Amino acid sequence: SGLERPQVVAHVQQALSYTLFDCKWVPRSARLLCLGSAARGTGLLQLYELRGGRLALLREIEKAKPIKCGTFGATSLQQRYLATGDFGGNLNIWNLEAPEIPVYSVKGHKEIINSIDGVGGLGIGEGAPEIVTGSRDGTVKVWDPRQKDTPVANMEPVQGESKRDCWTVAFGNAYNQEERVVCAGYDNGDIKLFDLKTMSLRWETNIKNGVCSVEFDRKDVNMNKLVATSLEGKFHVFDMRTQHPTKGFASVSEKAQKSTIWQVRHLPQNRDIFMTSGGAGSLHLWKYEYPAQRSKKDSEGAEMGVAGSVSLLQNVTLSTQPISSLDWSPDKKGLCVCGAFDQTVRVLIVTKLNKV
Amino acid sequence: MPVWLREGSWRQSPSAVYLSLPLRGARATSANIFCTDQYLKVSIPPFLFEAILYAPIDDTNSTAKIGNGIIFFTLYKKEVALWDSLTLANANKEELQYLRENAVLKAHEKAKEETEAKKVTKQEHKKYALEATMKLEEAERKRIEDLKEKERQKVTKELELWRKQQKDAEKQKGVQKEEELHHEVEKLKAKKKEKVNKTMIPNEGISKTGLKPTKGHGSCSMFSENLKEEQLPAPRSAATIKINFTSRVFPTALRESRIAEEEEWLRKQAEARRTISDDLSELEDLKEEEKNPDWLKDKGNKMFATGNYLAAVNAYNLAVRLNNKLPLLYLNRAAAHLKLRNLHKAIEDSSKALELLTPPVPDNENARVKAYVRRGTAFCQLELYTEGLQDYEAALKIDPKNKTIEKDAEKIRHLIQGTTQES
Repeated sequence: SGLERPQVVAHVQQALSYTLFDCKWVPRSARLLCLGSAARGTGLLQLYELRGGRLALLREIEKAKPIKCGTFGATSLQQRYLATGDFGGNLNIWNLEAPEIPVYSVKGHKEIINSIDGVGGLGIGEGAPEIVTGSRDGTVKVWDPRQKDTPVANMEPVQGESKRDCWTVAFGNAYNQEERVVCAGYDNGDIKLFDLKTMSLRWETNIKNGVCSVEFDRKDVNMNKLVATSLEGKFHVFDMRTQHPTKGFASVSEKAQKSTIWQVRHLPQNRDIFMTSGGAGSLHLWKYEYPAQRSKKDSEGAEMGVAGSVSLLQNVTLSTQPISSLDWSPDKKGLCVCGAFDQTVRVLIVTKLNKV
Repeated sequence: MPVWLREGSWRQSPSAVYLSLPLRGARATSANIFCTDQYLKVSIPPFLFEAILYAPIDDTNSTAKIGNGIIFFTLYKKEVALWDSLTLANANKEELQYLRENAVLKAHEKAKEETEAKKVTKQEHKKYALEATMKLEEAERKRIEDLKEKERQKVTKELELWRKQQKDAEKQKGVQKEEELHHEVEKLKAKKKEKVNKTMIPNEGISKTGLKPTKGHGSCSMFSENLKEEQLPAPRSAATIKINFTSRVFPTALRESRIAEEEEWLRKQAEARRTISDDLSELEDLKEEEKNPDWLKDKGNKMFATGNYLAAVNAYNLAVRLNNKLPLLYLNRAAAHLKLRNLHKAIEDSSKALELLTPPVPDNENARVKAYVRRGTAFCQLELYTEGLQDYEAALKIDPKNKTIEKDAEKIRHLIQGTTQES
């Protein structure tokens, strides 16, 4: 008999000579992008192609400021422009064929942009393409590449409130042209859900530990599930279908790795499977199971959600340093790339995902 | 002194000697038999039988049976021969002694050899067992490794296939799209001419028919870009959402919190509230509210505000008598003393307040700043400028953004420099 559970196979490993902050697959291709910071304090973009058993460097682009994060989420499939956030608070959109001058550029924040997400592009979902950035200056801003200089939405602290770093942002609920939400996680454990249609705060909660990563299981459907990971090895899965007027969303939490869980990424081909990457260099593959009833009535008759359960499918330790970035390939099921602070980018293949 | 047993009877065959000894009523269990290849000794307290055998025997194979009131020995001879007698005759005392000792030594050596042999065999057995388990584990590990390898190879092959497919698909689509694009461009040119005078309102009808090429690969043409804009809603009208962050008693995130110190401070405050001094006899004639330190503090503050500093001091004094653990009482009394130019008292009170304001946490920052400033002022009015400057700098460290403190500190510095220059 063979091995029954999904296996994580390390396909290619490539040592880099700079600090890697983010890695992303270029949609509809076998190419991937590595974003980071070179030793001399400049930003670096490297484009690799998967050839045989190794990564071939196609292109290297150097920029003034180190790059922290990037996304293809807001671009069309034929353009495939990359939106990046850098250490200086600048949001830039690059055409990788002609990367000398950005297609769009704005100094969006006063401090480093920690996280970026895009929606409305790649043929997924409907509505205007938008990019959201979350920064250490405590603000979360939504940009439209057609509007220069000013964001189309700005979520900032009230006057006089001491700011908290925003560590992660994610789009969701973009199932038609009008609806859209942004979820932001902060370093004091706050998670806030902003509704862009009504321009209001829809829900907030605090999970006690700084929130490292949030992601909806799908951006382009009616909000279904949200996973939030935090320091001290905990992550929470919220069922976003039923919002109770006072209790908010139901959740289940799991304490998995003894260290910070840096990233969570859902498998594009199956929204109930997700992978978390940890500070101890490990990757855990999880499956969410729905409860028999997703909602029930509480004592006053208001609807409240019921959270399901999470089970561990596989775990593997690849490195001694934190794995800070993770991306599934949208084109090949099970193919993913991860980048760790040991300056190595690894391409992995997760097998048997069909049988889960 | 044991009793010698002499009454054994024996007979022999060419290869063995059969000796039988009567037990004489002694219990068989306590029989102690000592035998080497030429010496035999049986000790059944109180009886003792000893024999130096005529010829060597094979003592490992010889047996002794105890039962029926006798011990029956079967001694196998080393050499096949007939013995003249059981024991060696003509053995004098010394020889006997020597032989006895020899026999004992030999027995010891034999015992030693045996134990060593046992040890060696035990070791070998252990080693064997270990090797066997190691082999089993190796086999298991290898099996799993093989399975993993197979998976890896399968998956790599699949990946290669997929990549090739991608490349082919791209090429094909490239060719196809070019053709399509030409087609569409013609159509669009016509429609565009119509639309030139209209405003850019998202127009679903045209966009649906004309937009297939944008979903494929390839370069953008000016026409497809324009139409794309029409398909999408206009950029959102800008708006701001104001947010608050979760507050705690101490608004620090879990990882930053100095919980131990903060808990201590909270505890101290709680205790201070509960302290009531014992001196109640004098206070019996006070009204109920006058026994409440907080109420007295408020009274004192009001009087301070109106300029009646003596009355303020009185109120604070009474409050302190009731509860001497509230730092704010000392702080405010210090301010009153300052106004009354009771500088030494002001210094005392500020110091007491600072003492009570430990541990230093963000919650009691304001109070500490005030205490330092008041003490500093008092020092300066006493012309103890260096001490005063120290306090001002302490205050500045807590609250670096306060301009008045900065200015005053500067003034003091100048004063100090001025006096040193003069003297």
